[in-house]
Amino acid sequence: MDQLNGREQQEFQKLVEQKQMKDFMRLYSDLVQRCFTDCVSDFTTKTLTSREEGCVLKCTEKFLKHSERVGARFQEQNELLMKNMR
Amino acid sequence: MSFLGLGGGAPKLSSEQKVQAAEAELDMVTDMFNRLVDTCYTKCIEKSKGYSEGDVNKNEGLCIDRCVAKYFDTNVKVGEHMQKIGSSQFPGRR
Repeated sequence: MDQLNGREQQEFQKLVEQKQMKDFMRLYSDLVQRCFTDCVSDFTTKTLTSREEGCVLKCTEKFLKHSERVGARFQEQNELLMKNMR
Repeated sequence: MSFLGLGGGAPKLSSEQKVQAAEAELDMVTDMFNRLVDTCYTKCIEKSKGYSEGDVNKNEGLCIDRCVAKYFDTNVKVGEHMQKIGSSQFPGRR
């Protein structure tokens, strides 16, 4: 990737931005799906109960913190892998 | 950045090919990351009884760290093994 020249870098950067937007939308809908599945299973009410809502909030927070931590470890492991390949 | 040796030391490529290769590499890393988030979430996060806390607790954190490390380990091992099987099955290729 570091062998791209300026124009190629620019082109690539554009691709990255498009993908980031898509990735964010995917993250969002995945998270809704995940927390809905894990937290909501009672359909005797029409709106979220306070228990369900609390669960959804904790689920969201936990998932974001989880992926942050995975990201940090991912980066470390990736760097380690690169170093070992050289 | 190169992943699994792709993208490094390749023969002369056109500009378009180089950007395409970089894109493929980005897609692969992104895909692996997303799989990792998903897999380690399933394996490590305690979601019984509707999530007792929003924080990643000590146990979960430790599990996540090990989960990621082992995923990479597995990745390398599978790669090596596939290569071994491949070279014995198609000896002329390598």
